[in-house]
Amino acid sequence: MKQPLLSLVNINKYFGDFHVLKDISFDIEQGEFLTLLGPSGCGKTTLLRCIAGLESIHSGDILLNGSSIKDMAPNKRNVNTVFQNYALFPHLNVYDNIAYGPRVKKSMTEAELKERAANVLELVQMLGYEKRMPHQLSGGQRQRIAIARALINEPAILLLDEPLGALDLKLRKHMQTELAQLQKKTGTTFVYVTHDQEEALNMSDRIVVIDQGEVQQLGSPRDIYNNPVNLFVTTFIGDRNMMRVRVLETEATHSLVQFGENVVSIRNSGQHQLEVGREAVLAVHMDKMRVSCHEQPNALVGEVLSVHYSGSQIRIRVKVADRQITVVEYQKIDCECEKGDQVYVTWEDHGAILLPPEDGWAEGEV
Amino acid sequence: MQTLKRNILAVPILVWLGLFVGIPLVFVFVLSFLSRDSLGTIVFQFTWENWQRVFDPIYLRVFRNSLLLAFLTGLVTIVVGYPVAYITSNLEPKKRALSIGLIMLPFWISSLLRTYGWMILLGNAGIINNVLRALGIIDKPLPMMYKFGTTLVGTAYMLIPFAIVAIFNSVDKLDRSLLEASYDLGANKRQTFFNITLPLTLPGIAGGFTLVFIPALGLFYVSDLLGGGNTIFLGNMINTQVTRGRNRPLAAAFSIAMIAVVLLVISIYGRIAKDDAEGLFL
Amino acid sequence: MRMKTSRFGAFYLSLFFVILYLPVLGVILYSFNASPSTAQWTGFTLDWYRVLFEDRVIAASFRISMEVAVITSIVSAIIGTASAVVAMRATAGMKRAIQGVMILPLLIPEVALGIALLVFFNSLNLPFGHFTLVASHSLFCVPYVYIMVQLRLKEIDRSILESARDLGATRWQATKTIILPLVMPSIVTASLLALAMSLDDVIISTYMSGPKTTTLPVHIFSMMRVGVTPKVNALCTLILVGMFFVVGLSQLFTKKIHKEDM
Repeated sequence: MKQPLLSLVNINKYFGDFHVLKDISFDIEQGEFLTLLGPSGCGKTTLLRCIAGLESIHSGDILLNGSSIKDMAPNKRNVNTVFQNYALFPHLNVYDNIAYGPRVKKSMTEAELKERAANVLELVQMLGYEKRMPHQLSGGQRQRIAIARALINEPAILLLDEPLGALDLKLRKHMQTELAQLQKKTGTTFVYVTHDQEEALNMSDRIVVIDQGEVQQLGSPRDIYNNPVNLFVTTFIGDRNMMRVRVLETEATHSLVQFGENVVSIRNSGQHQLEVGREAVLAVHMDKMRVSCHEQPNALVGEVLSVHYSGSQIRIRVKVADRQITVVEYQKIDCECEKGDQVYVTWEDHGAILLPPEDGWAEGEV
Repeated sequence: MQTLKRNILAVPILVWLGLFVGIPLVFVFVLSFLSRDSLGTIVFQFTWENWQRVFDPIYLRVFRNSLLLAFLTGLVTIVVGYPVAYITSNLEPKKRALSIGLIMLPFWISSLLRTYGWMILLGNAGIINNVLRALGIIDKPLPMMYKFGTTLVGTAYMLIPFAIVAIFNSVDKLDRSLLEASYDLGANKRQTFFNITLPLTLPGIAGGFTLVFIPALGLFYVSDLLGGGNTIFLGNMINTQVTRGRNRPLAAAFSIAMIAVVLLVISIYGRIAKDDAEGLFL
Repeated sequence: MRMKTSRFGAFYLSLFFVILYLPVLGVILYSFNASPSTAQWTGFTLDWYRVLFEDRVIAASFRISMEVAVITSIVSAIIGTASAVVAMRATAGMKRAIQGVMILPLLIPEVALGIALLVFFNSLNLPFGHFTLVASHSLFCVPYVYIMVQLRLKEIDRSILESARDLGATRWQATKTIILPLVMPSIVTASLLALAMSLDDVIISTYMSGPKTTTLPVHIFSMMRVGVTPKVNALCTLILVGMFFVVGLSQLFTKKIHKEDM
């Protein structure tokens, strides 16, 4: 079996009495774009800092190419970080910022350095900015320099801590594409921290969803989006309508569930054992649903509460069995419905999932 | 192990300060219980005499003078300095920088020069008397030197920058939207000042008062030059005992008493500002 | 929103500054008065400066003061900066301990501290002179350097230091290449303040001077006790001009650094 590039083995970390990282274990493969995704305070940044060596761990191990680096000082680890606020040295110009790593490590001659610096600057499209001071650069430019400054050291892993967080929406979208391209071009392994699900879904090869210091799910973006393994991932990724239903029957590929008066058939995700006669949670992506004025098979019957146009989206709120569900459509619906109309709500088969209920979960639109 | 590594470098600093501040203070404390012979040489013999003299009514008056001077200095610098700090923090950026500069500049001017300036202003042949005489308002010089008030003016003048800086820091931190909210809710300027501004800047006032009070207790050269020794203060008293009276044990006892007063003032400051002594400087 | 300054406010502030600088201007003005008394203005003269330069005692004490002040400011800059950097890295408890002892000399009235040091050095049989002066002056100068450097250190984003370490710098390299250049303006200003305070100190120096090492302020103080003479005016004016010259230079220097800063 191929050895993973980085292995995290049962990592535990405390801040005082607070258990920030709980027994975290997973592997990072050579050349992949891996994203740590979770709400703020979930421990994802702490985990990144542990890999970088900026935080120590209380138990467990971190193996880089099979050898432990957990007791190594950050300056000895062959990983580099792009900080959330870029952390460019304010008193050094762009060139000296980029040259910082090779110079303190004395890893290159000045001539080599010059050539390498030109290479990384070209990579981030910042050639010609060598003499600028950090305060003369825009947010996006600082971002690129921070990346170039890390890449020149040819790290085994580049760690990125919410690097797009401080940019405005438009630039953020643009940088997403650029970062993903940069990663493919250099072949460097990226470990990327974000709380933004869209960023994670767009850029990553694999996503690790973290909540309350625990890994909730690890998988491809598609997998995570369509087949969440638990209620946290279900509510955190994508906008879903969540409904408490009763399981009537389970078959090989589909289960029959009851929601109010409606009885519908939902595909089995294959990850969960559902018991007949017990309650379950039905989660359906809002944008995978359709509203129809005419009777449809396998549909929920409801009454339109409101129709709301916002840009290209049409948001329709429908009352089904005393619960409100929201449907997001992008094209004109097959009928003009208005408040008070009776409608039939259907969905794409893979857009729906059934999960066992968990303690403390309250029904509601998330 | 890691903790030790992080802290080991702090040890020389603690040792240095301990050596030059801690040990001397212990020495003074011990000295205040020792006797001396007729030549002023210290004799290692325990005595209460020095402390008895500290609480002697004659010397208690020296204490009263000093406490009164330090308290009034604090009061005057706060009352005069508060508006300066307040107005400065409301100035437009350029004037504000100028004003801050002018407030800080005296820190760089010799304190003896600044005291001497008052001798030149207030003396019988001084500038003020000259001007008043030239204007024909008086024909005999007004005696303004060598009074308690002269010392008070000089001491307050010397220390007012400390008070203004402390008050300015807290006035400047004050969220202006709170004042706007107060006006919006119907309060007038006066009500807003007494209900919002003053309570919120109280820590700055307490800090300024403390920073002025402590040195005012011992600024002997000001009272020497401007007060002319007509009122005896602790600083002069201690200084005289050391340099001329050669009674160091007595000076030591007074110094310890003075430090006790300072500790008391700092604890009052701590109560008001809800901060410890470090808050005065950091 | 900043409120517009009222006319009364502007008047009050102006009056305050006039009174704040009037005594200083008075001293300067009368250093050029031909008459030895402030009673009359009898004409402009530079005689008092000439008399001043001929005074050997003043020249000697000026030299001692300068030597002590320069050494004090260098010593204080080093100890104060080192303490601030060490405190930044130390554990919370140790940081509090450092801060506590740092402000101690500032909380003790100078007379009391002076006496304490006098007794201490006396019992060690140390000769009073340069060493005792520098040691005692640094006691109240180091805390100011510490405070000013520490304030600047607080402004430096922690991630900048982490980033240096992350890029391969050792602790010492990060200190040398990142921290020191960033706090340099504060160190310069603080050591100048230390220079000024050492040059200005009367109280502690009264007790720390040896028979042949009277500092300038101690000497000036004894001259002032005798009474007003234009020679003192001239001396004070020169000190003032010299101090402003040094401060002005340092301002130019730190402004230049600050411009390159964020």
